[in-house]
Amino acid sequence: MNHLLLLAAAEGGPVEQIAKTFGANVPALIANAISFTLVALILKKWAVGPIQTMLEERRRLIAEGLANADKTKAELANAQAKSQELLNQAGLQANKIIEEARAASAKISEVERQKAVADAADILAKARQAGDAELVRLKGELRKEFGKLVVAASARVSGKILSFEDQQRLAEETNKQLAA
Amino acid sequence: MRLIRIFLALTTWAWFSFAGFAAEHGAHAAEGAAHAEHASEGLPTAAPVLFHVGPLPVTNSMVVTWAVALLLVVAVRVATKDMQMVPRGAQNFWEWLVEGLYEFLEGILGADLVKRTFWFFATIFLLIVATNWFGLLPGVGTIGYGVQTAHGFHVTDPFLRGANADFNMTFAMSLVFFVCWTLWAVQANGIGGFLKHIFAPKGGTTGPLFVLMVVVFFAVGLLEIVSILFRPVSLSFRLYGNIFAGENMLEAMTHLGGPVFGWLTSLPFYFMELMVGIVQALVFTLLTAVFTLLICAHDEEHAHEPGTAHH
Repeated sequence: MNHLLLLAAAEGGPVEQIAKTFGANVPALIANAISFTLVALILKKWAVGPIQTMLEERRRLIAEGLANADKTKAELANAQAKSQELLNQAGLQANKIIEEARAASAKISEVERQKAVADAADILAKARQAGDAELVRLKGELRKEFGKLVVAASARVSGKILSFEDQQRLAEETNKQLAA
Repeated sequence: MRLIRIFLALTTWAWFSFAGFAAEHGAHAAEGAAHAEHASEGLPTAAPVLFHVGPLPVTNSMVVTWAVALLLVVAVRVATKDMQMVPRGAQNFWEWLVEGLYEFLEGILGADLVKRTFWFFATIFLLIVATNWFGLLPGVGTIGYGVQTAHGFHVTDPFLRGANADFNMTFAMSLVFFVCWTLWAVQANGIGGFLKHIFAPKGGTTGPLFVLMVVVFFAVGLLEIVSILFRPVSLSFRLYGNIFAGENMLEAMTHLGGPVFGWLTSLPFYFMELMVGIVQALVFTLLTAVFTLLICAHDEEHAHEPGTAHH
């Protein structure tokens, strides 16, 4: 009684007939089931398993890489924000410094300008004083020269030699007239 | 080195198995000769027994199953010996195959169920494809013991046989799937949930209609049980029938062309059988996956409902 299916059939029935036709029998079925189970477990452990492990490992690494990329992106954005903030702060400080420098410069410039104006006024005053003094001196010399010329011209016109007193008198009169 | 030692041991074991088979065959030679006179051309429906391990027979189709499994393991181990993060060559091929299969099954079963069941469906698919294509190699099913007939030498007991051209093999695969299917179903639903899934009325009816629905769905559940019990039968006969018929057709076409043109007449059918080999593997894998989804879908649906704990 070798030819049987698991479904069990009456001897000589249609199922047994089918089983006989296709060579189905319980021992062969059990042997094949054990064989297939072992093969499936072996393939699971040494064929499909390692590849699946590798694929999972790669998926994990890719996920980690993406997570790291996101983290790096966030850090980059953070760094950019910080650098922008620093730039803004530096800009503000620079503006402040420039304003201060500008104010200081204006102040110094004003002081210097005033100093220059004062100096210039001083120089002008001195120059004016010097000019006045020179003018006075030149006028005096001119009077002297003119007095001498008047004396000389009087001597030539009169044809006589003028005395020292006449010369003194002529010079004084000339000076008086020039001064008037 | 370990793999090589295992390979050598298996080769030696296979060699002695064939020797034992030869002795066993000798005892039945006369009977075989008498039978062969009446035997029609083509592959015998039952796989010949090579030897016994205790009470269990070892057939030539089982030897092919083990040889194919060994080839698969060796191929994968060689390809994944030095695994690289950026795959190349054989590693790339195997990763492409497994990842493609995983994504394909994930689309059917869902992300949760595929994690638990992928090993089985991947094994089923790879083993069926590989054994189907292995069965197309010249010599498988055509080299072995036989008898001289009026139409030439007729091989009655081939050394090797396409694994899926043995009904015991396909039925055993279906039964193993049935056991796994039951376990997955109970894991997903619990025993009560499993029975409820089959017999409980659906649709949320109330009142007298609910009583009627209980009766109707109980009857439907009984039909469902019959359907479930017949799944291994349909699965196994479909695969066995296709592969067995394919091998017989190849042999018939080879005979049709005679000794000179036999290769030519069978050549187009070899290409067709290559396709049949992969299509049948896909059909078997798809059907088993869909059967699994149908029984575990209950769990998956509830898992997505808010406030429902996962079983």
